[in-house]
Amino acid sequence: MSSHAATIDHHHDATTSTGIPNKKLLWWAFLASDCMFFGALISTHLVYRLNPPPGNAIPTQVFNIELTSFSTFILLMSSLLMALAVNAIQKGNIRSTRTMLLGTMFFGCIFLGGQVYEFAHFVAVKKMTLSNSIFGSTFYTLTGTHGTHVAIGVLLLGMMYVRTFKPAHGESGLLRNFAHLAAVCTVMAVSFIWLVPSGIEAIYGAPVGELLSHHAVPFGIGAVALAVVFWFARSGGEVEFGEKNAIDVEAIGLYWHFVDIVWIIIFTAVYLLEYL
Amino acid sequence: MAEAIAKHAFTGAGHPPAKATFELMARPTAKTGLISWLTTVDHKKIGMLYGGFAILFFLIGGLEALMIRTQLMVPNNRFIGAQLYNELFTMHGTTMIFLAVMPLNAAFFNLLIPIQVGARDVAFPRLNAFSLWVWVVGAFLLNVGWLSHIVPSWQFGGAPDVGWFGYAPLTSKVFTPDLSTDLWVLGLQILGLSSIVASLNFIVTIINMRAPGLTMMRLPVFCWMALVTSFLLILALPAIAIALVEVMFDRNFGTNFFEVSGGGQPILWQHLFWVFGHPEVYILILPPMGYVSEILPTFARKPLFGYPIIVFSGVAIGFIGFGVWSHHMFTTGMGVVATAAFSIATMAIAVPTGVKIFNWIGTLWGGQIMTRVPMMFALGFIWMFMLGGFSGIMHSAAPADAQQQDSYFVIAHFHYVLIGGATFALLAAIHYWFPKFFGRMVPEFWGKVSFWLIFVGFNCTFFPMHFLGLNGMPRRTWTYDSNMGWNEGNFFATMGAYLLGLGIFTYFAVLVWSFFKGQKCGNDPWDGRTLEWSIPSPPPEHNFAAIPNVHARDAWWYEKTHQDEIAAEKAAHIKAEESHGGIHMPDQSWYPLFAAAGLGLAAFNFAQLHHPVMMMGNQVLSSHLPLALTGGVIMVAALYLWSLEGPGGYHIHLDANGNATESRGDHH
Amino acid sequence: MTRPRLVHRNILRLVTASFAGLSLALLSGCKLVDAVHQIFSLSGPQSTMVTAGPVAKSQWDLFMVTVYVTTFIFIVVGAVLAYAQIKFRAKSEADEHAEPPPQGHGNPFVEIGLIAASVFLLVIIAIPTLKGIWYTHDVPDEDKANAIDVTATGYQWWFKFEYPTEMVKLPGGAGEAPLVTGNELVVPAGVPVRVQLRTVDVIHSFWIPKLAGKVDMMPNRGNFLWFKADHPGYFYGQCAEYCGESHAIMRFRVIALSAPDYAKWLENQKQAARTVTASSLAAAAAAPTVQFASMKFDAGAALSGSPQFDADPLGAWKAMQKPEAGENAALIATGRKLFNEKTCVKCHMVRGHEGIGITGPDLTRVGARSTIAAGVLENTQDLMHKWIKDPEYFKPGNKMFHGIGGMTGYMAPNDKGDLVPNIILNDTEITALVAYLHSLK
Repeated sequence: MSSHAATIDHHHDATTSTGIPNKKLLWWAFLASDCMFFGALISTHLVYRLNPPPGNAIPTQVFNIELTSFSTFILLMSSLLMALAVNAIQKGNIRSTRTMLLGTMFFGCIFLGGQVYEFAHFVAVKKMTLSNSIFGSTFYTLTGTHGTHVAIGVLLLGMMYVRTFKPAHGESGLLRNFAHLAAVCTVMAVSFIWLVPSGIEAIYGAPVGELLSHHAVPFGIGAVALAVVFWFARSGGEVEFGEKNAIDVEAIGLYWHFVDIVWIIIFTAVYLLEYL
Repeated sequence: MAEAIAKHAFTGAGHPPAKATFELMARPTAKTGLISWLTTVDHKKIGMLYGGFAILFFLIGGLEALMIRTQLMVPNNRFIGAQLYNELFTMHGTTMIFLAVMPLNAAFFNLLIPIQVGARDVAFPRLNAFSLWVWVVGAFLLNVGWLSHIVPSWQFGGAPDVGWFGYAPLTSKVFTPDLSTDLWVLGLQILGLSSIVASLNFIVTIINMRAPGLTMMRLPVFCWMALVTSFLLILALPAIAIALVEVMFDRNFGTNFFEVSGGGQPILWQHLFWVFGHPEVYILILPPMGYVSEILPTFARKPLFGYPIIVFSGVAIGFIGFGVWSHHMFTTGMGVVATAAFSIATMAIAVPTGVKIFNWIGTLWGGQIMTRVPMMFALGFIWMFMLGGFSGIMHSAAPADAQQQDSYFVIAHFHYVLIGGATFALLAAIHYWFPKFFGRMVPEFWGKVSFWLIFVGFNCTFFPMHFLGLNGMPRRTWTYDSNMGWNEGNFFATMGAYLLGLGIFTYFAVLVWSFFKGQKCGNDPWDGRTLEWSIPSPPPEHNFAAIPNVHARDAWWYEKTHQDEIAAEKAAHIKAEESHGGIHMPDQSWYPLFAAAGLGLAAFNFAQLHHPVMMMGNQVLSSHLPLALTGGVIMVAALYLWSLEGPGGYHIHLDANGNATESRGDHH
Repeated sequence: MTRPRLVHRNILRLVTASFAGLSLALLSGCKLVDAVHQIFSLSGPQSTMVTAGPVAKSQWDLFMVTVYVTTFIFIVVGAVLAYAQIKFRAKSEADEHAEPPPQGHGNPFVEIGLIAASVFLLVIIAIPTLKGIWYTHDVPDEDKANAIDVTATGYQWWFKFEYPTEMVKLPGGAGEAPLVTGNELVVPAGVPVRVQLRTVDVIHSFWIPKLAGKVDMMPNRGNFLWFKADHPGYFYGQCAEYCGESHAIMRFRVIALSAPDYAKWLENQKQAARTVTASSLAAAAAAPTVQFASMKFDAGAALSGSPQFDADPLGAWKAMQKPEAGENAALIATGRKLFNEKTCVKCHMVRGHEGIGITGPDLTRVGARSTIAAGVLENTQDLMHKWIKDPEYFKPGNKMFHGIGGMTGYMAPNDKGDLVPNIILNDTEITALVAYLHSLK
């Protein structure tokens, strides 16, 4: 692979009319489309913000702006890790690529965990549900759609991570590959559904021992899955993944950065706007 | 140069074929038979599948229209009931837009774009197959409700009956509790997904896969219109997708988006719907403008008049098309300023549309017009589209529109645009490119008979509708009383509709006959001007023996007049490509089909989420959720296997006589 | 290259010629001429051309401006197109194989000139359009003081009209409420009327073509329109936005009256329901049993107006305001009793009588209306009998039959949730009900 390294130009693709790789162009066009999805959702939110029916929820009484600011920061930092992952694979450094991908995924999970905590808190404590106020309807739908984007991003990164282990000359790799992916997905799911929300609760003063015993089963499953992920990650033979796949990592990177930028807009339009 | 051409020739540059060990099942290689069609990634086969399904639904939609016209033939008619009538007009609109004209355009995008830009396939062949099968899933969901008329125990509540525009709050659970509305919501959603994915593919193909020398300003106008249409699709569909999500949440999860008692504003639906719905009008009409812009120069034997203006006006229509949506809402009480603004914007969009008509006339001027059947349909298009455009200008005057909105005048207007415009152009296109893709000619005489039947029938049907509308007949009405002065107009329109139906039947019957018995033709039966006429009819799998060098706007016309230069170039290209291992073609795949099937299972069950699963009259599951999740997992798994499988590929080698041999598993 | 053979060409010409000949022959047949004339004459009761008020007139005048401009464009562009089609046609086989014509690519000056010309023509339309938008939006300032206000509310599938400034006393000292009518809006002629548009369910649209273009009744939105009737008259209106199963038959009427007539009408409306007293119910039995015609109609017969009615609708409407000759007091009293017993009272208001419902149309003066079932059926005894007997036949999905919002109708759900008959009426009972309802003038 390294012998090819010098010939790969990451900024110009000689096989296309414009020099932009097809995959990159595809993602750019998709992101333009995705802008309109979020545009429609944000418009809906703002329209109802300007025309609130009587008895609507009052956002500033619901929000926990410190927590959301923190998770916004984490999501922005995950973009940095994503950029480092792209940089690493463009240099052909697969080990570093894997580390950065895992880091991006984990930061994404912290953000998602913050959202899980936030939603659960709003419903259980602030008594704002999807259906009992129009603010609830627009808020959960908009931020939930964004959360779904992040979750899909985490899944794609997980798939990319597992794909880096695809052996160059391997046999019967499919089952192993699926097991690997399942373990990664389990770790991520446990961390954003149980681990991170519990951590936030602990920070807000919930007793740690009680949290651990309450969520013992998912934590146990998560620990086993984590062990499996480590076991799969021990260095093996030559892999098929390499510098030539930089465009694939870059494409997911585009998506990831886009989702971050959208969050900045949502954070401004939905949260900060209420504090003006 | 040769290097670039050799690389250009295929889509999987830089990716060696996937190892056989990493496949769940062997990659299909069948070239004929059912499996070849189910697993195909060939843009021509996919285009034909799109076309076949679209024509099927075009005929179904036509039958629905004939039933509607039969009901309205006489006043106080009892031929069909109110409920069935509402289902029929809803599905007539939905079918003709989403299941007939859009996929017919998609068929031509598939068939023509790669050839006109000088490529061997689209940029992402498997994604292209995925779009097709997802479209089939959406079409199934929209129409599955009809089955409950035949099997009442399938309680879908009939076909959707909320109108193709589905104005909230009529779509809420209170007013239409039936499953039909849920199926309509998800069906449209999935058709939208299909269109977005397909459009992304065409955007990349047109921008990135042009043959050497084919600059954007040498691109055939059809490709330009396809590019604008694709951008309109990816930017407009999200608005309706979100609106449909909101309706779905209102119906299933108790949100308040359009729930009046919870503070919802039903007018928001209209804004979101028409932000999609108006660009959709141009999505339907821009490709037909492209066909006509190809057909007129061929039969006038003269290049298109004012090519840059035609291109720029198409782009301008695309832009302004996003700023006129509220002219569908002049009667919703938007206030004077908004009404005035959208009125003026609507008048403005008439300018680039008019410009196109001027240029088409300019193309005819000084030509040698050969009135073959495609040309007759194309000329019919110009006349009829002009009339539809005029009634459009009448609508832009908002106060006058207050009388015409939701009356038969509007029906007349948009049928002049969508039949006289889009459909005439599509019929022209089918007739024009039929010899290219089936290698046989359609008989001129019968083509002309069908043209005149369609032309006369169409005008008899829709011209009186202008007057019905001005005489106060509202649309979407199941019946009318006999003292309203509408009897004669409706009777006349119904007779016209039967004539139109006869014409359409003749047209397609002749096509079927020609498919089996038509006179065989060579590669260039019409003396064409663009690249598709340079290759054999029907085109081989790899389209081009040698990727062409494009020297001028009408690339094939140039080749015909500079044969020596081109022959030398082509020989060089073939040599260069063979030295790189031959013509690279992408492999077929099962996964697009599997992913679409998983999506279908998920969506069909998700639509019925809160209903128990029944089988033979017994309850099997308490809700459809497990089945919906299963479908989702199948889809994700298929997509993952798809990415593991890689694009694959094989090589075609041509000998001196053009005979092809294949080789697999070789690297270069 | 295929071409139709010579004989085919001749057949084609023959077919075209005979088509033309046949149509000419048919056109000269006078029945067809009448029919074609009817299509284009725009003389129907909902014609947007034969206007009766300034709003509709301004809308038609603006429409005609667009017609003139587009017709001008059509003549010019069409002439050029037709000329090009004929002049540059390949006349023979040889023409088609001749050297191709000069391969010209266009002329920018011609194009820019044409663009400028089209912009100019559109400005001709734009100016009156802008004027019209402001004029049709609201009552002109100088007329505002004269305007009367009414509120129209859309229901699936009928209209309620309220006069917020005309208060009536509710029976039993329950205070005052605005005057309410259903499906017939009575207004004074020559006075601007501002109609507030509301809906209780889905979107409807309020349209009286001869008086004003439509404006939608949007939930959670305070829309309105205005119109003025130039002269007394009887005008047809109809819901113009698809609103569910029976959208097609959600109609109404506007009756414009001279000032004295209007005052008289208002005065009568404000009274409690007219009561016909009977000494004993026994006399009802003596009423002749009426045999009504079959339920099925010949397609083509107007349901909403007999030829006599349509000849002078306003006169017919005025005649309906007076009590009918030959009223059977006992039958009416029986009908009133049934109206209560059969639970009609729960949905229909008969102010001063037993009826207290507000879900269905107010029936305080239903006998004086020219139509029933939201403008669908002429209000004759015969048609009202048929309507009460089988409302589902005339108006599929109607709420009187199916029930609405917890109110049961002719059908009601049983324990299993299946709909079973709830209100059962025989012909004798219906005859009594019709007599009662027709006495409400």
